[in-house]
Amino acid sequence: MENSIKGEQIIQDLLPRKFKTSGRIWVGILVAICLVGVYAYYRQLRYGLVVTNMRDYVSWGIYISNFVFFVAISLVGSLITAVFRLAGVKWGAPLTRIAEMIAVGAIIFASVIIIVDMGSPERFYNLFLYGRIQSPIIWDVIVITTYFFISLLLLYYPLLPDIKILLRFKEKSGPGLHKFYSFLGSFWKGSHKQYLLSKKAINALCVAIIPVAFTIHTVTSWLFATTYRPGWDSTNFGAYFIAGAFLVGAGSVVVAMYIFRTWYHLEKYITPDHFDKMGRVLVLLCLLYLYFNVNEFLTPFFKMKESEAGYLNDLFSGSFALTFWFAILTGIILPIIILLFKSGRKPLPMFIVGIMVVVGAWFKRYLIVTPTLLHPFMPMHDVPQMYKHYFPSWEEWAISMASLAGTMLIITILCRIFPIIPIQETLDEHHETVK
Amino acid sequence: MEPENNSRRDFLLAGLVAAGLATGCNPKKDPFEAGANGVQASGKKVKLLSVDGDVIEVDEAFLKPVPHLPDVSNAEARIGIPGKKFVMVIDLSRCKNLKKCQSACNFAHDLNPGHNWIKVNPMKGAEHTAPYWEPTTCMHCDEPPCVKVCPVDATFKRQDGIVLIDSDRCIGCRFCMAACPYSTRVFNWGEPDLPAAVANQPYSAETSIPQKKGTVGKCDFCADMTRMGMLPHCVSACPNGTFFYGDLNEDSVTNGADTFRFSDLIKDKAGYRLMEDLGTKPSVYYLPPAGRNFPFESGLENDKTQNS
Amino acid sequence: MNTMKLLNKLLAGSIAVMLLLSANKGFSQGAEKASLSITLSYFEVNNQLPHISAMVKTKVDGRFKPAAGIPLKLFLSKDSSGTVIGNIITDENGQGFAFIPPSLKSEWKSSKTHTFLATFDGNKKYESAKADLTVAKAKIEISTSDKTITAKVFQLNDTTWVPVKGVDVKFGVKRLGADLPVNETPTFTTDSTGQAAADFKRDSIPGDSKGNIVLVAKVEDNDQFGNIAVEKTVPWGAKFIPVSNFNERTLFATRDKAPIWLIIVSGGIIIAVWLTLILLVQNIFRIKKLGQETE
Repeated sequence: MENSIKGEQIIQDLLPRKFKTSGRIWVGILVAICLVGVYAYYRQLRYGLVVTNMRDYVSWGIYISNFVFFVAISLVGSLITAVFRLAGVKWGAPLTRIAEMIAVGAIIFASVIIIVDMGSPERFYNLFLYGRIQSPIIWDVIVITTYFFISLLLLYYPLLPDIKILLRFKEKSGPGLHKFYSFLGSFWKGSHKQYLLSKKAINALCVAIIPVAFTIHTVTSWLFATTYRPGWDSTNFGAYFIAGAFLVGAGSVVVAMYIFRTWYHLEKYITPDHFDKMGRVLVLLCLLYLYFNVNEFLTPFFKMKESEAGYLNDLFSGSFALTFWFAILTGIILPIIILLFKSGRKPLPMFIVGIMVVVGAWFKRYLIVTPTLLHPFMPMHDVPQMYKHYFPSWEEWAISMASLAGTMLIITILCRIFPIIPIQETLDEHHETVK
Repeated sequence: MEPENNSRRDFLLAGLVAAGLATGCNPKKDPFEAGANGVQASGKKVKLLSVDGDVIEVDEAFLKPVPHLPDVSNAEARIGIPGKKFVMVIDLSRCKNLKKCQSACNFAHDLNPGHNWIKVNPMKGAEHTAPYWEPTTCMHCDEPPCVKVCPVDATFKRQDGIVLIDSDRCIGCRFCMAACPYSTRVFNWGEPDLPAAVANQPYSAETSIPQKKGTVGKCDFCADMTRMGMLPHCVSACPNGTFFYGDLNEDSVTNGADTFRFSDLIKDKAGYRLMEDLGTKPSVYYLPPAGRNFPFESGLENDKTQNS
Repeated sequence: MNTMKLLNKLLAGSIAVMLLLSANKGFSQGAEKASLSITLSYFEVNNQLPHISAMVKTKVDGRFKPAAGIPLKLFLSKDSSGTVIGNIITDENGQGFAFIPPSLKSEWKSSKTHTFLATFDGNKKYESAKADLTVAKAKIEISTSDKTITAKVFQLNDTTWVPVKGVDVKFGVKRLGADLPVNETPTFTTDSTGQAAADFKRDSIPGDSKGNIVLVAKVEDNDQFGNIAVEKTVPWGAKFIPVSNFNERTLFATRDKAPIWLIIVSGGIIIAVWLTLILLVQNIFRIKKLGQETE
């Protein structure tokens, strides 16, 4: 008896809730940022990429940095859901939904930002009409589509039991949402046969998503590594990108965990223990990423090849030094130090570390793209002066910020519609512990 | 315009006339042999006077100053001219950064300021080596890294060695620009400032005209000129004869005034290609600035206009 | 395409000129007209069709630049309506040309030397100008034996062709854009028999698939004779069959020529993954069916 009361309590705690004033303000701010971005993009469509500050040397700017950043973040879906599940990590269960939502939001805006970066987006269909399998961009298009699809499935399958619960609360969700829920999963009766089919599918997805996730980010790194440019011409790039991606993804999950926990008062479900364990995961990923960074920078630094010297000096002690050391310190070194202490793995410090990791990672992506382009093999000559520097224009900032806001908007909408923490799984776990 | 160029052009014309008479206007043959080149007999005969004072009939189509070619279709422009392998040789000892090549190229392709397909770089290998001017065009690599990465076949390698861009296909992803180690590609960031008559004509990959917003542009080895058997604009514009152009399959290059056997020139002057270690196999060869005709400093003044 | 481009440029140029002119009128009445310099050249290939070429330049900022769009009248011997060769308009390189029309047959045959006249009547921008060129009728005969090329230059002397001494002749192999000299000597001078001979030293120069090359003997910019050239095809080159990797499957080939291994690997991966995904979607419908059965 007590058990079922407890169960009802869990359901009540975890049901998606309507936005309060703060929630509306939050959505309003995000929409406003998106609208500014849309206006900036309108200007870009009308006048061309000339509204950006990209030019012939820095032909890829923060759009591409953002693209890499989004692809990196989206990998977390596969880490938390698939890797944890296959490795039998039970405590990760409450975090899977958050991770999948972040993954879907990020992958959607990865595709959006890559279209934004195109000089002739109206010819996007050429990729399908004339796609050349030799080009890593086509590989990326295929892999992103695949990963998006798998992420959707991996969000959908575990939702089915929760939708059955959601359908019980028609008044609470309102007629519109109720209809949507029925459309999505009214057929789920929770029968044993259904459960078995679903479980098999989720296991298959977890196996499938890992190689696809590795491919998506490896292929993204190959957009750089298949060129000759100093700083990109590296065999380490795929692994370096994957390590960085898992780190930023885990960091973003920690940030989301903290925000949802305080906002929706989920202290009972997202416990300090979860933070502690995510902290251990995070420190491991930080160390891994540090290792790849050492690999990536120490050996070229040791040799100081003529073609790479300008680029390396610019990073270590030149015009990008401040950003570079900021990204390394904030994104990797400081998190390692903080997370080594038990008190550093408490919710609030973890939240701060998560933010540090995400911000550091964003700057890291900027440093991967821009400095290399400013150090071509041939001298930068016979071009207008402004071609030799790069700082994003307001349009670029607006569009990039809008893409970040858009990702958060998608996550916000998803958590308005669906339970952030899987209800059925929490119930099952609760029953088990009671038994 | 030099007198040599003048007479060469007219020889070409007259050659066409002569061959047209001799071969009965056979239109399909080696495109660079006079009389072929895709020039179709119009059937309209013109009566003219020969040297001996005899009246002879000649097809009108062969009497154009430049053989009037039908517009090259996109499919033809993508395949290129069979049996040819175009090469360029740039003699660094002849360059004093006059930039006549650049201005002729920009004019011929209706390029906007700042969109230089030809750049003349001041180079200095090491601290104690001597500086020199190095004009760069597209290298028209035999294993072009830019073509490898293009997702939509918008840039392509032809059988005659020329790498061209189809601006009607290009999606503007700029991967080719990142892939090119020679930084030869330029992008039309905004709408190019062109006269309406130029902007409205259909794009031709061989003339690279008109340049379009949101697409990539670069040196096209003047594929339209070579199809007519003429030299690229940079070659004929250089008063110092820095650029040599020719067909590797004919083993000959010319700057208009001087013509050399390509293999001899490369052997005698120790020709080389840029960044050989990358394996891109460029079609542009350089002759080292040995025995230079001008001091490096003579080009400095001219460098200030674009680089100060 | 190219002519279109030239036309457009011409058009744009002439509009600019017109604007310039009207602007000039505004504040500098009676601005001085520029002067033109006309150069005439005479050409003759394979002793067939003679033609006359005109080059018009004007001084801009102390330098000669080609003058485009200049209408010229060309005459044979004298400036009269009976001896008109033709009217030409110079192109963007300041050039124009004309052949000799049959109407001048008797005039042409009447003399062993001819004077060509070019006149420009003057317009708003340029002052009138004229030029003339006198050439003697000449021809080259070319013969080859044992890798030696011999050219004989003749001049018309009343009714007979007589050999000319002291004419500079060049020998070359026809190549793209220019003629490659047959040996290291740039020019040869004819002897008293009107002959000049050159040894062919371009051994194994690539010819066509049969090894044929086209030899050229030419007299260039000669004060007396103008430009004369004669061609002859000889099998002195190396047999050359071009090889090209254009149709090979490579990473830099077009989409229809992707390497087989790449198609197999990428296709295999794509099919495997998407088959799984299709099965997983199908699985949803199986679950759905089960749910509806229980109802």
